[in-house]
Amino acid sequence: MKQIAVALLILSLPAFSQLGRTGPPSSANPLALDAKAVEAGEQRFQQLCTGCHGRGGVGGQGEGQGPNLVNSWEVRRASDRDLSGYIRNGVAGTAMPAFSLPDPQIRELAAYVRSLNAPANVVPVAGDPNAGETVFLQKGGCSDCHMIHGRGGYLGPDLSDIAATRRLGELRQAILDPKGLATDGYRPVRLRDVNGNSLRAIVKHESNWSLEVIDEKGGLHLLHGAEMKQAVPAASQWMPEDYGQRLSTDDVQNLLAYLSKQSLRQPSAKPVPSNARAENVN
Amino acid sequence: MRRSALLLLCVCTGVAQVAAQVGDAALRRNPGNDWLTYIGDYAGQRHSPLTEITPANISHLVPKWVRHFNAAGDLETVPLVHDGVMYATDSNQVIALDAITGREIWHYQAQGVRRRASNRGTAILGDRIFFETADCHLISLNRSNGAVFWDHDFAGGDKSFSCTGAPLAVKDKIIVGLASSGKTCYVAALSSETGSEAWRVRAVPRKGEPGSETWGDFPLDWGGGPTWTTGTYDPELNLLYWPTGNPWTDFSGGNRAGDNLYTDSVLALDADTGKMKWYFQFVPHDTHDWDANETPVLFDTEFKGRARKLLIQANRNGFYYVLDRDTGEFLQATPFVKKLNWASGIDAKGRPIVVPNTEPSSGGVRVCPSVHGATNWWAPTLDPKLALLYVVTLEECEIYYSSAQKPVPNSGYRGTGHTSIPSEPGLFYLRALDARTGRIAWEYPMPGPTTMWAGAVSTASGLVFTADDDGDLVALNSKTGKDLWHFYMGSNLHASPMTFAVSGRQYVTIAAGTNLFTFGLSSDGGSSK
Repeated sequence: MKQIAVALLILSLPAFSQLGRTGPPSSANPLALDAKAVEAGEQRFQQLCTGCHGRGGVGGQGEGQGPNLVNSWEVRRASDRDLSGYIRNGVAGTAMPAFSLPDPQIRELAAYVRSLNAPANVVPVAGDPNAGETVFLQKGGCSDCHMIHGRGGYLGPDLSDIAATRRLGELRQAILDPKGLATDGYRPVRLRDVNGNSLRAIVKHESNWSLEVIDEKGGLHLLHGAEMKQAVPAASQWMPEDYGQRLSTDDVQNLLAYLSKQSLRQPSAKPVPSNARAENVN
Repeated sequence: MRRSALLLLCVCTGVAQVAAQVGDAALRRNPGNDWLTYIGDYAGQRHSPLTEITPANISHLVPKWVRHFNAAGDLETVPLVHDGVMYATDSNQVIALDAITGREIWHYQAQGVRRRASNRGTAILGDRIFFETADCHLISLNRSNGAVFWDHDFAGGDKSFSCTGAPLAVKDKIIVGLASSGKTCYVAALSSETGSEAWRVRAVPRKGEPGSETWGDFPLDWGGGPTWTTGTYDPELNLLYWPTGNPWTDFSGGNRAGDNLYTDSVLALDADTGKMKWYFQFVPHDTHDWDANETPVLFDTEFKGRARKLLIQANRNGFYYVLDRDTGEFLQATPFVKKLNWASGIDAKGRPIVVPNTEPSSGGVRVCPSVHGATNWWAPTLDPKLALLYVVTLEECEIYYSSAQKPVPNSGYRGTGHTSIPSEPGLFYLRALDARTGRIAWEYPMPGPTTMWAGAVSTASGLVFTADDDGDLVALNSKTGKDLWHFYMGSNLHASPMTFAVSGRQYVTIAAGTNLFTFGLSSDGGSSK
């Protein structure tokens, strides 16, 4: 499979160099909305592409392997036609070969690659959002730590716009396998109040000179110098790691259906230009 | 940010001791230790009662921290501070910082906004922060963690509007304005709870309404009158004073015969209903882009032997105006720039006496002030005890051109434009105007490339902080204008300074380029405490 390498090796160096400015997923590409094509494309991708691009398109290992296709600046920048062309024709000067597949199969592969870069609010999601809201507020206890439109707790990220900023797969992983989640801005600590009660809290920012901490009640604590010792590291993150056991498959799917509705704006018709210029002051 | 009464926090200094809700009373008292509105206080005076930093110890003023924004342009934000937390903005984003250290507490980035624009700041009310996206959504955020309560598109999906201003919180409403090139603008009041619109006042009347006769045959939905800066508020009279900008097309008035109400005006609006109590138009039928969006400062004082509630404004057109803000009566106007050739004066009713042949023309005509203005949206500041209004002033002329072309909204056509005069460079000053007479008490020249867009803040300790045209923050003696201290920030300045205190220590903050600078007295001396 080595020689198969890789759609989108094209411009792979610039692609890597741009990873840091990829930004949140933004795509209204029609391919990403075609659930059947995405599903068929995923199966074909596993057969043909994972050897170089890695499982789930996260990138191959070692020299000469294919780049990450998930949350990829290059993929988002490319049109559907471009993506299909790279698969059909290969990319000159790279290890990416041409795949002589029927057009529908090319299209399915492109749809799957596109879906790896599509936010949750532009892809079809099975499940009942109303039932998912109940899971969010009650059975799952999600709102103990997460807010949606001002309703909820302080220990986790606000989810009011989460479907516009995360892919469906990321949401699923955050629920079922949160161990790998970035903790920047959410490092768990404990603070003690005047009655000796321990409050759960998170560190929003930390340096050698100050800690900015929010407790579970929304209290903000700006700790400077010796005061920083008041924040004691917690044993584990506040996000439960057992939702896979506590929630049924249907619960999780319904929760995903609910979360995938949480965006402040309708999906944009086109990707937001990354180089949009500031307007004049007037 | 509730009072959580943590054991150790109570006995330590330097800890944000959290937070009663920001209500009407706090907004009326502002500023004190906090800085709760873009305009500093409802009156727009921007005069701080803080006195730790004085003319005697200002030599000990040092930078405390600098926070960089990944911004596309020069920051125009004037941050708010409440209980040790600073809220600052750039295009489509808000950050909350520990005001002592500059470290980030939270960051909100609006997603999916297909436009960038400058942003001047936020409003605060209750437990919420409010700010406008470049495409005119008002967003309500939890001030502890930046979580979104709601996002309301107050332009109704009309992408021809853009927003750069800081909203104003008044009682239970958030007041907003916007700008366009070829669309009639408006002031709107939105519920602070839900974002629903309580009232809206157009800067140009509808057909048949009073004032509509001042437009000839021009389409009344194209008139402009942008409301893009923050107005002021008198709680006793319950009146908002909201300024409006120029009519469209900016430099060609041939299609819009008449005074073009209510452009280049200040509107006195009932804060509950939006009902217009009075208006005053500074420039009828403007063809020089002399927006009246400068802060309408409110000042109670004796004027010509009588106690009056005044509204004062140094206008972009070069005249300093004094009005009665209860009635709208015009009381006085005096030039505050020497380079002023478009009007020979202002008549008894407040109408300019226009000099012939100062309209823009196809061949160009030299007119003073320039489009940049004798002053502009940057902040003036008023020391009420000294009765001095400090105004960043530009002495400059330009060549104005116009062309007769069929106007098409949002096409970029503004009626043509203006060019600088290389042989006649402009010069910025900070001028202290006697607020009652308009006389220039002192002036401080600020040599530079005439590219600044920055204002001033005054303090009860006898200081005026201003940005200058060379990239410095400067502190002057407010009585004399003597230069006491400066710090070069290395950037073009597009923002006005503000001052606040946390745990008894006073700070001064200003945005410069893509950075936010905060200054305080050095820890090894200088503090009077």
